[in-house]
Amino acid sequence: MRFFAPFCIPFIIGTAFLFAALAVKWGSWLYHLPRADKKLIGRNFFTLATPKAIWEVIRESLLHARIWRVNSLLGYMHTSLAFGWFLLILVGWIETTAYVGLRWVPLQGHVFFKYFAASAHLGHKPVFDFLMDLLLLFVLSGVAWAVAKRIVHRFMGMRRTTRHIVWDKLALSVLWFIFPIRLIAESITCAVHGGGGFLTGSIGTWLAGWVPRSTLYALYEPAWWVYSICLGLFFIAMPFSRYMHIFTEIPLIFLRQYKLRSGKKITSYDNFQVEACSRCGICIDPCQIQTDLGVNDIQSTYFLRDRRYHRLELSVLNNCFMCGRCEQVCPVGINLNTLRQNSRDKMRNVPNEKRYEYFTSVPVEKNSAQSKIGYFTGCMTHLTPGMKQAMERIFTATGESVWWADREGGVCCGRPLLLSGETDSARKMIDFNTRLIRESGITTLVTSCAICLKVFRDEYHLTGVELLHHSEYIERLLVKGSLKPARANDESFTYHDPCELGRGCGIYDAPRAVIASVGVLVEPEQTREMSLCCGSSLANTVIDDGQQLRVSRSAVDTLTATGAKTIVTACPLCKKALARGTSHNIRVKDLAEIVAERL
Amino acid sequence: MEVERMKSQKNHTREVVVVGGGVAGMQAAIRLAEQGVRVTLIEKKHELGGHIRSWYHLFPSFTPAQEVYDALHERFASHDIELITSAEATEINPTSVTLADGRVLHTKAVIIATGFEIFDARRKEEYGYGLYDHVYTSADLELLLHEGEAGEGLAGALGFTPRRIALLHCVGSRDEKVCQPHCSKVCCITGVKQAIELKKRFPDAEIFNFYMDIRMFGPGYEEMYREAQQKYNIHFIRGRISEASPTFDGRLQIKAEDTLTGRPLRMSVDMFVLLIGMQAGPNFGLPHADSGFLEPQDLFLGNVVAPAQAGTLGGLFYAGTVSAPKAIGESLNEGIAAADAAAAYIKQK
Amino acid sequence: MRRRHTSNRNSVAAIDWGYGINKARVINADVNDLRMSEAILREMPELQTCIGCGGCTATCTAGALTDFNFRMLHTLVRRGEYEGMYEQLNKCMLCGKCRLVCPRGINTRALVMLLKRKLGDN
Repeated sequence: MRFFAPFCIPFIIGTAFLFAALAVKWGSWLYHLPRADKKLIGRNFFTLATPKAIWEVIRESLLHARIWRVNSLLGYMHTSLAFGWFLLILVGWIETTAYVGLRWVPLQGHVFFKYFAASAHLGHKPVFDFLMDLLLLFVLSGVAWAVAKRIVHRFMGMRRTTRHIVWDKLALSVLWFIFPIRLIAESITCAVHGGGGFLTGSIGTWLAGWVPRSTLYALYEPAWWVYSICLGLFFIAMPFSRYMHIFTEIPLIFLRQYKLRSGKKITSYDNFQVEACSRCGICIDPCQIQTDLGVNDIQSTYFLRDRRYHRLELSVLNNCFMCGRCEQVCPVGINLNTLRQNSRDKMRNVPNEKRYEYFTSVPVEKNSAQSKIGYFTGCMTHLTPGMKQAMERIFTATGESVWWADREGGVCCGRPLLLSGETDSARKMIDFNTRLIRESGITTLVTSCAICLKVFRDEYHLTGVELLHHSEYIERLLVKGSLKPARANDESFTYHDPCELGRGCGIYDAPRAVIASVGVLVEPEQTREMSLCCGSSLANTVIDDGQQLRVSRSAVDTLTATGAKTIVTACPLCKKALARGTSHNIRVKDLAEIVAERL
Repeated sequence: MEVERMKSQKNHTREVVVVGGGVAGMQAAIRLAEQGVRVTLIEKKHELGGHIRSWYHLFPSFTPAQEVYDALHERFASHDIELITSAEATEINPTSVTLADGRVLHTKAVIIATGFEIFDARRKEEYGYGLYDHVYTSADLELLLHEGEAGEGLAGALGFTPRRIALLHCVGSRDEKVCQPHCSKVCCITGVKQAIELKKRFPDAEIFNFYMDIRMFGPGYEEMYREAQQKYNIHFIRGRISEASPTFDGRLQIKAEDTLTGRPLRMSVDMFVLLIGMQAGPNFGLPHADSGFLEPQDLFLGNVVAPAQAGTLGGLFYAGTVSAPKAIGESLNEGIAAADAAAAYIKQK
Repeated sequence: MRRRHTSNRNSVAAIDWGYGINKARVINADVNDLRMSEAILREMPELQTCIGCGGCTATCTAGALTDFNFRMLHTLVRRGEYEGMYEQLNKCMLCGKCRLVCPRGINTRALVMLLKRKLGDN
C-alpha cells in the first residue's frame, strides 16, 4: 500500500524543515563548544552519565517531574502534552506495525495512519482504536488545560504567565488546533468508513447519524489537509519559537550529565541552556521585582527570550537582584544567574590593562603577629560598625590572635564589579587580595560579608587557606566550647538568609545553629532556598532607592510576621537594607552581634 | 493611670480636648481657658512640658529652658484646666478622644499637639552611637549640660575634657536612608548653639561643625552663626560625615569630604555630637506627608486646621511640631493660633 | 565625544585630570556643550537631586587611595566638563558604599556605570 496523499505535503515540508533546522542548530552549537567542553563529552560519553541522562530525559522531557513538584496542575498539563504526544507516536508506530508488519513506512504513514488504514480498508483492531483514543483524550485534556492557563492563569496557581513573541503565538495557536483537528479528521473518517474507538468511533457514529453523507465526504479530505497544515506550520514555527525547548532540553540534559557548565564568559554551551527555556513563566511568580515592584518584563523568561533573539537591553539585563529564587523553581534547571552574569560580561566587559594601577600603592597591613586567622571586613561592613565590633569581641573572647586584612578599608573583593559584568577588571582586585591573603601567611580567612565570601569561594585560588563565613567560624567556636554565650530561652529570633550566603554559597545551617545557641529561632514563611532578597542586592543597578525600600519592607513584613522582635541576618548589606524597612520596635542584628552581646 | 484634676471638677461636656502637654499644647490650653472654654489637656508622660524639660539653654538667646517652662506652667496652673497625665491617646476624632486604657473623652473639638519624637541615632549605625564611647546626640548634650551645671561642670559630667570635638548636622534629617526626607529645621541653630556652649566650657578645644547646608531661618540665628565663627572660632566644614571608627588611642576617627577643597578629610576627635532631627510621632490615621508629619488643610489660612475629612466638618486642629518641625517660639505661636481656631469653631457650632 | 571639548577645560591644581594645568580654569557656561550632560540627566534625573554633601567621596575607598572624587566628577559632568572623566571613573571599584551613604538615595553605582557608558565607550 502507498503511504502518500497530497494533503501530506505540508506535513512533509514542515518535518523536513524542522529536522534541517535542528541539525543546523545542534551541529553549530556542538561544533562551537570550547575544546575543554568537547573533551568532557568525550571523556564522559561511555560512562554512567549516558544512561543517567537517558533516564533524566524520560523523567524531565517526557514526564516533567520537576514541574510536578512546583505545581501539579502545570505538571499534568506538560505531562499530558509531552508524554501523551510521545505515546501517540509510539503506540501509533506499534499500531502500524501490527497492521502492516515490520516494514518501512514513511513518517506520514505513521502520522496519518488512520487515513491510510481506512482508505485501504485494512479492517479494525479495537484494542488499538481504544488505546489511540485514550491517548488522544489524554493529550486533549492537556490542551484544554493550556487554553485555560492562557485565559485564567490564576486558575493554575500562577499569578502571572509569560507574554510571548509572534512565533510563539503562531506555534501556540497551531498547537492548540493540532489535536482537536486530529479528533475531527479521525471522527469524520470513522463516520465515513466506520470503526474507531470510544472517542473517534462514537463521534463518527454520531456524525454519520446527523450529518448528510455528501457533507461528510466533502469534509473528509479537507479535515486531513487542515491537520497536516497545522502540523507543518507547528514544525516550521518550532525552531524560532519557545517550542524549540522540546528538542533542546534533550541534548542539554546529556551535556549537563557530561559536566558541561556555563561560566563567566558566554560559550556555545549557553545556547543549549537559553533555548531549553520553555518560557513556562514559573520564574515570574517568585520574582520580587514582579511581586513588590510590579515590573513584568525583566524576569528570567524574558531575559532568556531577549538574549535568544539578540534584543537584550541593559535595562532588562541589569534589573535583577540575581537572588536566585527563580533558579530554585526553574523546571529545566537552567543556570539563570550564570547566564545573566555572562550576558553582562558580554555587554559591559571593557578590558583595560591600565585600570587600577593604583593598587600597587595601597598600604597593606602586615601580619606582624603571625596570626593564623585572618579577618576580611569587606567594604560594606565599615558602614555597619556593630558587626565589626561584635567580631572583635568574639575574637577577643577566643583569645586567638587575628590579622585584620582591611581594618582601615582596602581593595574591594571584586564581586560587585563581576556582577556588573566587568569581569576582567574584577580580576585585578581578585589578584590583589589573593596576594594580600597569601603573603599574610594565614591558614583561615573569616569574613562576615556574604558578598565577599561568594567571590572568595568561586573565584579566588587560595589553596591552603580555609575560607569561612563568620557564621561557620562562630558555629565552630560554639561546638569547640571556646564561646559560651548565655542562652535566652524566652527570646525569639527570626533569620533572613542573605542571597549570596544561602543560595549563593549553600550555607543555611551554620547561622541557624548559631542562633539556636543564643535563643529561639522562628522561621519566616519563605526561608532557606526560597528566602526573600533584602532588595539592596548589588546585582541590581536599575531600581531606585524607593524601590529598594519597598522590597525591603515587604521582606521585613514576612520576617516580622513570625512575631520575633529581632531579625538576624549575616550580611552587612542585608542588615542595612532590612534596618531601613523596619519599624522602630524591631531590631535588625548581625549574627555576630547577638552572640557578642551575650558573652 | 493617674488622673489629676486641677481646681474644680467638671461634670458637664468638655468643649476642647488638647492632646499633648508640650509647649504647644500647654499654650493652646491656656489660651482656650482664657477665653472661657472648658478645656482638657491630656499628656502621655506623668508630667507636663514635653521636650523642653530636657533642654538646657534655648537658642538664640541662651535663655534657660526652665525659665520658659516655669513661666508657662505658672500661667497654666492659674487657669481652670482639666489635666489628665499618663494618658496616651490611641484614637482621635473631632468629637472624642480614646485613651489607651479605653476611656473615651467626648468633646466638641480636639487640638492635636502630640509633637515629635527624637530621631534614634542608633539607626545611623555608621556613626557608632551606642557602640563607641564619646558619641553623643544633641539631646544627650543638653542633659549633660544640665548635669554639669548641677555638679562639676560639663567635663565632670562627661568624665573627660575633650580637646577636639566634631558636631554633625542633619543626623536623621534630609536623609532618605532612614526615611527622614525632611529638614528638621532646628538642628542647624542647635549645632551652632551647642558649639558655643562647648567652646565656653572648653576654650582650648577645637570645635568643628560638619554641615551640608546651614539653614539659619530665625531671628538672631544668622547673627549667632556669625558670632560662633568670629567670636568663638568654631570651624565649619562643608561635608557630611560618612562614618566613624574607633582609633587605637581611644578616640574616634571620622571621615568626611571637605567639599570646599574637594578632598576627603579624616579627623580624630574625642567627642562626636550628632545633631539629631525630629521624627514624626503617631499620625492617628490622619493625612500626613512622606516624612510622617500631619498635613494641615493648607499652609496659610488653614495651617492649624486638619483637612476636613469625609463625614466630618472639621473640629480637628494642629499645634506645634505635630505638623512639621518647629522651634519653641513657633510652637508657642501655633498653640495660640490653634486655640483661637478651635474656640471660633465651637462657638459657631 | 571627548575630543569635541578641547577649548574649555577645567583643571584642579594638584590633581591629574589627564591633561595639563595650563587650560582655562573657568567653566565657561557659554561654550560648554551640555547635550551629553542632559542626555545623562534624562536617563537618570535623580542625579540632579545631589546636594553635594560629599558623603560618597568621604566613604569612597578609591577616593582615599587616589584623587578620585565622585561628587566633583559628576558635578563637572553636569557643568558640561567631560574631559578625562572616563579615566577618572575607571578608578571606581563599584563596591557600592557610596550608595549606602547617599542621603538623597541616588543610585550612585548605576550612575558610575551610566557615565562610563556615555563618556567612554562610544
